[in-house]
Amino acid sequence: MKILVPVKQVAVLDEDFELRDDGKDVDVDFLDYELNEWDDFAWEAALQLQEQHGDVIEIVPMTVGPEEASDSLLKCLGKGGERAIRVWHESLQDSDPAVIARVIAKVAQREQADMVFAGTLASDHGYSQTGVSVAAELNWAKAAVVSKVNISPNASCIQVNRELEGGLEESIEVQCPAVLTIQLGINEPRYASLRGIKQAKAKPIEVLSHTDLGLQDSDVGIAGSRSRVRRMVMPAKGQAELIEGSVVEQAARLADIVKQLRGGV
Amino acid sequence: MINPAHDPQAITRILFQDFPLWMMVVFYISAVAAMAMFVYGCYIQVRKYWRGQPISLKQMQQRIGLMLRDIVSHRTLRRRDTSAGIMHAAIFFCFATLFVGTATITLEYDILKPIAGWTFWYGDFYLWFSLLMDLAGVGVGVGLVYMMYRRKWLALPKLDYHRPDRQTAEPDYDRSWYRLEDWLFLWNLIIIIVTGYVLEASRLVWLQTDHLVWDYRWWSPIGTSVALLMHDFGLSAQGAGELRYYLWWFHGLIAFLFIALLPFTKAKHMFTAIASLSLRNAQPTARLPLTDPDAETIGVRSITDFNWKQLLHTDACTKCGRCHEACPANASGFPLSPRDMVLTLRELSNNTLQGRKIPMVDDLKAVGDGVNQIRSETLWSCRTCSACVEICPVGIEHVPMIVEMRRALVEDGEMDAAVQTALQNVQKKGNSIGENKRKRAAWTKKLDFTIKDARKEAVDLLWFVGDYASFDPRYQKVAQSFARILQASGINFGILYEAEMTAGNDVRRVGEEGLFEHLAETNIAKLAACEFERIVTTDPHSFNTLKNEYPDFGGNYDVIHATQLVEQMLTDGMIPLIRQANRKVTYHDSCHLGRLNKEYEAPRQVLKKIGVEVVEMPRNQDNSFCCGAGGGRIWTPDPLDMDKPAELRMQEAAQIEAIDAFVVNCPKCMNMFEDAVKSTGNDDKLEVIEVIELIASCMQLESSESNETDTTTPTEISEG
Ligand code: SF4
Ligand code: SF4
Repeated sequence: MKILVPVKQVAVLDEDFELRDDGKDVDVDFLDYELNEWDDFAWEAALQLQEQHGDVIEIVPMTVGPEEASDSLLKCLGKGGERAIRVWHESLQDSDPAVIARVIAKVAQREQADMVFAGTLASDHGYSQTGVSVAAELNWAKAAVVSKVNISPNASCIQVNRELEGGLEESIEVQCPAVLTIQLGINEPRYASLRGIKQAKAKPIEVLSHTDLGLQDSDVGIAGSRSRVRRMVMPAKGQAELIEGSVVEQAARLADIVKQLRGGV
Repeated sequence: MINPAHDPQAITRILFQDFPLWMMVVFYISAVAAMAMFVYGCYIQVRKYWRGQPISLKQMQQRIGLMLRDIVSHRTLRRRDTSAGIMHAAIFFCFATLFVGTATITLEYDILKPIAGWTFWYGDFYLWFSLLMDLAGVGVGVGLVYMMYRRKWLALPKLDYHRPDRQTAEPDYDRSWYRLEDWLFLWNLIIIIVTGYVLEASRLVWLQTDHLVWDYRWWSPIGTSVALLMHDFGLSAQGAGELRYYLWWFHGLIAFLFIALLPFTKAKHMFTAIASLSLRNAQPTARLPLTDPDAETIGVRSITDFNWKQLLHTDACTKCGRCHEACPANASGFPLSPRDMVLTLRELSNNTLQGRKIPMVDDLKAVGDGVNQIRSETLWSCRTCSACVEICPVGIEHVPMIVEMRRALVEDGEMDAAVQTALQNVQKKGNSIGENKRKRAAWTKKLDFTIKDARKEAVDLLWFVGDYASFDPRYQKVAQSFARILQASGINFGILYEAEMTAGNDVRRVGEEGLFEHLAETNIAKLAACEFERIVTTDPHSFNTLKNEYPDFGGNYDVIHATQLVEQMLTDGMIPLIRQANRKVTYHDSCHLGRLNKEYEAPRQVLKKIGVEVVEMPRNQDNSFCCGAGGGRIWTPDPLDMDKPAELRMQEAAQIEAIDAFVVNCPKCMNMFEDAVKSTGNDDKLEVIEVIELIASCMQLESSESNETDTTTPTEISEG
C-alpha cells in the first residue's frame, strides 16, 4: 500500500513586512519558509501507519515547488520514508490550488498510490482546496478535516474520524482509494533532528516537470488557473496598547487614556 | 618484650594446631573453591563491562594518581558527610590492614616456607603484628556499627531507596532487596570480625597453660579481654578447645563465602569504586562526548551502547545517595534521581550481560517504560547541573550518560513540544527564543554609543552576547550595563551583530548533537573571519561551550567570563568607580561558571571590591543548587504544582537575615530567579540583580533611559 503525502513549503511573514511593488504578494525579503504545519501532521500520520504496519506501507512525500522547497521534503525524509518527489517548472509559477491538485493527482496516478494524505490547509494562503481537489481530479473518495485514521492494509475501506463543530467527531468509513485531508492535533509530529535531515540528503528526490506528467504548459500556471490574485491589502486597524506595570501604574495609565479620549487632558 | 627464656621462633601462632589431616584438606579445597569462584565472578563482571563500547583512555598515569590521592585522603567520602567519611576510612584502612595481615600469613605459610623454608612470622614481628590486627578489627567493627546506626537510627533520607521515578504501585518502586543487601553486607563483616575475636579468645583459653601463648596475651588486647570474660563465665580449657574448632570453621567458611560472592555483591565496590575513580574525566559535564557524525545512529538506546567505563560506573555505585540528595530535579519532585538511574542501568546490565550470550536487542533497551529501563520523562527532568557528578564519591559521571540517552530520544524525535519548538527556532533562526535573526542586536539601540561590528573591524575583545542577553528584556539591561562598563573603561570591543548564533550549550545538552555541530561550525567560521584577542561573554553557558567544547571543532579561543574580566579590570584599576555599593547580599553560583568551570572566586572578589558584603547560603560554591534552567530545561515550563528548583533556592536565600539582594551571574539564573522571587513572595525583600549591574551602579553609568523600566513604555501592537 502506497501513501502519497503532498506537502507545501509555506511562506512565513516577518513581524514587519512590505508588499511587493505590484501589490499582489508580500515582498520576498520579508518571508521565511517552512514546512506547512498541517502537512507535518499529515506526514506524521503516514509515518505512524508505517510504523504500525511495517513495510507493507510505503510512504512518499512530494511537493510542487522550486529547488528551495526541497528543504521541506528533507525535513520529511529526516523522519522517515525512503524517497521523495518534487515537481517544478517555471510555468508552474502562480498556479492556483486547482492546478496544484491536478499535478498532485498526476503524480498519484504515476506512483499508483492507494491513498493521499494532505494537510487540511496551508498556513500561508489558507485555501483549503488542494487536498479535496486532488480527490476530485482522481475521482476518489475523500474525507476532510480528519482527526483520526484507522487503516488495515489491503482492506477496501478505511475508518476515519472527522472533526465537526463544537468538539463533535464524526466517524466515517471511506472507500479506498481515498484522499484524506489531515487536521492539526491528530498526532504529535516528531522532531526532525538536524542529523536526520543531513542524512536524508542521501535519499533520492526525483524531480519532475509538468510535461513528465503529461500536462501541457496551458494546463498549468496562470494559463491553467481559473482564479488569480488581484492584489493584497492591509486593512486599516485601530490602535491598541498593552498596559503593563504595577497596579497603580496601570490604573494611572488607564485614567490617562480615558481622559485623552474624552478630550480633557 | 620477649622473655629471654623463650625462643622467639616459638612465639607465633601455630596454624591448624591439632587439626587432623582431613580437615586441612577440606580447608584447602574450600579455599581454592572460594578463590576459583571469586576469579570466575570477576571474569563475569569484566566480560559484562567488555560488552560495552570501546573507549580510548589517555593520561592514565595522572588519573590513577588522582584516584590514589582521593582514596588515601578519603576526600570524596568526607565531603558534606564528615562522619560517614571518617567511619568509612576506619573500615577501609583497617580492613585493608586485616587483608594485608592475612595475606602476609599466607605468604609465609603457603609460599615462602614450603618453597624456600623462609619464616618471619614469629617473635617481635609476630607480637606487633598481633597487636595491629587486634586494633584493626576494632576499627572495622566501630565503622560497621556506625554504618548500622546511620541506617537504622539516623534514617537518613538519602539512604531511603524509594524512587521518585516510579509510582508507589510499581514493582520496582521500593528496592527493598537493596536494604537487605546492605544489611547482609554489614552483618557478614561484623560476624567475621566478632567471630575472629571470639576465636582468638578461645585459643587463649584453650592454651592458657602454654607460656609461649599466655605470657604474650596482651599483645592481643581485645582477644584477651574476651578470653578473660569467657574464663570468668567458667569456660574450661578443654571446652575452649572444642569451641575453637567450631568457630574456626564458621569464621573460615563465612569469610570464604564473602570472598566467593564478592564479585556479585555490594562488596565489589571495593574494586569497582577504585576503577571508577581511576577512569574519571577532568570535564565530564563541561565537555560532552563527541559522536561520529557519519554513524548510522547516535546516542544510547541499549545497555550495550554505553561504553565499558559507564557500565563499570553502574557497578561502582554504593547507593550512598549523595547525588540523590544534591539533585535539584529530585528535590523538586521530578521523576529523576541520579542514583536510581545508575542503579536501574546496573540491574539491566546485570540481568542481560552476565550470561554467556547477549540477549536480543529488544531485551537490551535502556530507555523505555519497563522495569529496569530509564523513562524519557526521567531523562528530560535533568538540568545537567552536574551536582551529582560533583559529589559522587566513586567518580560516576551521570551527565554524559543522560545526554547520550537524550541523543537517541532526539534522533527518534521524542521530546516535549516546547523543546521541539526551541530546537526548531534554533534551526531556523539561530536562537532558541524564536526571534528574528535581524533583531539580535536590537538591544544596542538603547545605548548612546555604537558598539563596533567585529566583523568589520579588529577589536581586542569580542563579546559573544548569547541568546538571553540579546533577547530577554530583563537581561538586555545587563547587556546594556556591560556595554557601558566596557565603553567607560576604554576597552576596544565589538560584537558579531546578526552573525552570532546561539553557542549551542543547551542544544548539545538536550541531545541535539547534529544541530550543535552545525552551530559550532557556523560560529567558528564567523569568528574565523574576525580579528580579536579574546572572547568575553556574560553567559556562563556560552562561556562553557566556547571555552571547553568549541576546541573539539577547531575553535580555540581565549575565553573569559564577564565577571573574570571585570575582576581583572578592577584589580588593574581600569574601572572608574564613583561610589561603593555598601550592600549586604547573597551570591548564587551558577552551575556553568561554578561547578563546571570552577570559578567561584572572581565574582566574589568583584563584589568585595565594590563594597558588597556576601553572606553565603548554606549551599554554596561546588554545592550550589541549580536554578533549574540548565540542560534545555529553560525551554520547558515546570508544572505549576511543583516547587521549582529556583523556588527552593529562593527560600534558602530568604532564610538569611539582613540581605537585600540575590546576586546572579547568568542570564538563565536571572530568568528563573526573577520568577521565583515573586512566586515565593520575596520580591519585597530581595532584589534579583546581576554582578554586572552592581558594578555599573557603582560607576553611575545607568543612563536615564535604562533606569526607566520597559514596562512603562507602551508597546504598540499595530499602527493605524
Ligand atoms: S545533572 Fe543535576 S539535575 Fe541532572 S541528574 Fe545530576 S544532579 Fe540531577
Ligand atoms: S551514583 Fe555516586 S553519589 Fe550517587 S548513590 Fe551512587 S555512589 Fe552515591
